[in-house]
Amino acid sequence: MHLDGCGLERDLPASGWLRVDAHRLLSRRRFLRLAALSAATPVFDVRLPRGLDFTLQNSSTAQKYLIETMPGGVALFDYNNDGLLDIFLVNGGRLTSPMQVPERFDRTNPRYWNRLYRQNKDGSFTDVTEAARLANPGIGNYGMGVAVADYDNDGFADLFVTNYGKNILYHNNGDGTFTDVTAKAGVAGGGWSVSAGFFDYNNDGHLDLFVTRYMEWDTKHSKTCGGAWRTYCPPAEFPATTNLLYRNRGDGTFQDVSQKSGIANKKGRALGVAFADYNADGFTDVFVANDGMQQYLYRNNGDETFTECALESGAALSADGKPLSGMGTVFQDYDNDGQPDIFVTVLPREIYGAYHNDGEGLFTSRNLETGLGALTAGSSGWGVGLEDFDNDGWKDLLVAQSHVLDNVEDIDHSLHYLEPPLLALNHEGRFERADSGITIPVAGRGLAFGDLNNDGWMDAVLTVLGGHPIVLMNRGGKRHWLTITLRGTRSSRDGLGARVRVNGQTRFATTAGSYLSANDRRLHFGLGDSNSAVIDVWWPSGAHQEIKDARADQFLEVREPERL
Amino acid sequence: MKFAILFFSLALQSVSPEAAQHMQTGVEAHKQGRLDLAIAEFRKATEAAPNLPEAFLDLGEVYAETGNYAAAIAPLKRALELNPELDGAHLQLGYALLAQGYAGEAIPHLERVRALEALGVAQIETGLYQEAIASLSAALVKRPNNPDLLYYLGRASGLLSKKTIETLIRAHPDSARVHEAMGENYFALRQMPQAEQEYREAWLQRPDIPGLQLELGLVYAGTEQWDKAEEAFRAEANRQPGNAEAAYRLGTALLQRGKAQEARAELQRADKLQPDMPETLYSLGKAALLAGEFALAEKSWTRVVALEKETSLAAQAHFGLAGLYRKQGKTAQAQHEMQEFQRLQSSTSSRPN
Repeated sequence: MHLDGCGLERDLPASGWLRVDAHRLLSRRRFLRLAALSAATPVFDVRLPRGLDFTLQNSSTAQKYLIETMPGGVALFDYNNDGLLDIFLVNGGRLTSPMQVPERFDRTNPRYWNRLYRQNKDGSFTDVTEAARLANPGIGNYGMGVAVADYDNDGFADLFVTNYGKNILYHNNGDGTFTDVTAKAGVAGGGWSVSAGFFDYNNDGHLDLFVTRYMEWDTKHSKTCGGAWRTYCPPAEFPATTNLLYRNRGDGTFQDVSQKSGIANKKGRALGVAFADYNADGFTDVFVANDGMQQYLYRNNGDETFTECALESGAALSADGKPLSGMGTVFQDYDNDGQPDIFVTVLPREIYGAYHNDGEGLFTSRNLETGLGALTAGSSGWGVGLEDFDNDGWKDLLVAQSHVLDNVEDIDHSLHYLEPPLLALNHEGRFERADSGITIPVAGRGLAFGDLNNDGWMDAVLTVLGGHPIVLMNRGGKRHWLTITLRGTRSSRDGLGARVRVNGQTRFATTAGSYLSANDRRLHFGLGDSNSAVIDVWWPSGAHQEIKDARADQFLEVREPERL
Repeated sequence: MKFAILFFSLALQSVSPEAAQHMQTGVEAHKQGRLDLAIAEFRKATEAAPNLPEAFLDLGEVYAETGNYAAAIAPLKRALELNPELDGAHLQLGYALLAQGYAGEAIPHLERVRALEALGVAQIETGLYQEAIASLSAALVKRPNNPDLLYYLGRASGLLSKKTIETLIRAHPDSARVHEAMGENYFALRQMPQAEQEYREAWLQRPDIPGLQLELGLVYAGTEQWDKAEEAFRAEANRQPGNAEAAYRLGTALLQRGKAQEARAELQRADKLQPDMPETLYSLGKAALLAGEFALAEKSWTRVVALEKETSLAAQAHFGLAGLYRKQGKTAQAQHEMQEFQRLQSSTSSRPN
């Protein structure tokens, strides 16, 4: 028995096996690294596909309302089960200068709707917002983010939209339409909700819902900062608030267990959330990226309660003990040791956080060793993902970037409001900048990942304040890959929370992470030169499944055994 | 006290009873804080005894006390006409003239009585920055850390620097030194592209000037261009192998780039060149931790804590030690360091670093 970061005794995770695998693969990966370095062409083709005519209306004002610099989310999911990823984009709303009370954001105006775009077979998109009955985002709602999962296990992915205002749960009816079931489900919340995600915290097979909230703020109590610069105020100017946790009762309704679970014991200024079982105890834990303060790591106690233990675990502050301006986050294994690590995007001069999972519930800041010190110290990051874009067997980093302040260049000449996204390829745990293909700087915010054209190479969609979304289509290559769709039987149907290992790489099944956004639920693995794979799946139900000699370059559905 | 001395002085002189009475009444009124009455009485005393310098001095002093420096100047000047040796009148007149903006006129009076604080200010006002620095530095010896004196000394130094640079620019407008000075200015204004350009120009003209690559490196570090910063700091460190700052800066750039072993070596070199610099030791602890040299990390941070005690850097060192001990499974020590970190964090966050 060992003490973990929360000072509790835990059994040692079986990480020794994973380390052996990683070592075995090392020599081959060194070779792959050389191959990756020789590729000088951009990783992505930058596209605005036909039909994707969305503009993110954040409505900047002279009042510098904080909400206007924060949207908006994007989700990649297959709402009609036709095998093609569709795109849902969250819109902000119309702000006036100053806002009148009661606040209305003109959301009945189509210009300010959220939008669902169905992907067609030719890669173009069709706006199906009205047909899908998603044209009513709520009159008092300014849109923020989106979470996606099949919360009722009916085989169709549902949508949860967060707002400054009330949140909305849209049930997917399975016929191309959605129904607003917020009132029945009891998940409207309130205040300023930001990122959200579905996960099964009590392993009962029903997906629960975590909603981050930023701060206690409204347009009536807004203010500007920076004196003559007149700019957005830092978060510390406004009171902190609590996050929300809803337990899925399994009957289409949710119970607010924020207090009961201990999630609401601490107030914060949360912007991002990601899930993984960091201490291998079989229960999914929660990492919350807080802005301008310490980060929160909620350890799942396995009894429907959580203990916040980021400080004791080493994942709360920078390596220098300074608070971070946490915005986006991802909770995945970047160094193929089998244990989920934490990345947090932050403001310039802070360096994006990279917390390596050392095992036994402890993390070590590794932002310098990973190369992020040189790559990110001058940048502001929002949406973020760890995906293997070059299929070399190592998860790479893609970050949506742009400063919070639209006039930051007046204040500090060395900083920039608009920035290109950061693409950094992972070379055995160290990241090196690569050409994303985006040459012009943008105000990036949301970022979602998925294989849009089902070619086995991961793509991404980036949202841009006041602009069109940018679709990053992976140019592909010759390496092998494997994409797994989990089909839970005793666990949730989507298998969220499962740990999947393929040829020594580990992914934690989740659609959450990034910032305001929801990713393709399919699990993608780059296989490098291997044309076969050994797959291990640890399901939230406790079932373990092993598949040997799976063929590379395929979409594989793995069904959970009915019995242990 | 001052007035009592005057009375002693008056007793030795042949002053008319009327003048003496007005003087006494004036002194009493002053003691009671009735300054208007005191002024009226001292004025009557000057009328009754127009050659009595003490009467004019007292009148001027009370005017000055009411803040009416304009009215104080004439009686104080008259007092000095009657008795040029009257130090009290020199002092008061110096202050009054300075307050009224006649700094040049005030200087001889303040010099005579060595009123160094006011003299320093007057010298700043008249552009005598070097002299002001001397006066204020001498005043600071008597009143160390006095905020006003420190402020004026800083101001005098800054203005002297500006004046010197202006002279330099006039005399050698396209010289390497001018470009270097311009680089410093742009750097202070955080106009980094311009700062880089000026430093580069300076370096092209005079690559022999020490410190140029260090300054260029700071520009790159300030804009998070750590590869270029490393290159510049390395050039400076090669050029000046005995320069501890160059070694320290190179070490931090290497650390930022994740080059743990190299950073550790360079920071150790900086520590050897200039021991017990807390910033060097703190970074050395980080580099050592990155390099897996736990004993060196512990030693460095423990030294920072000993040197700094209650500062934010000490808090950071405690935080580093907590992580190190946690990593080593030394739970009790980790908890102790974390508690110290939290204690210092709460105390240092309430005051500027």
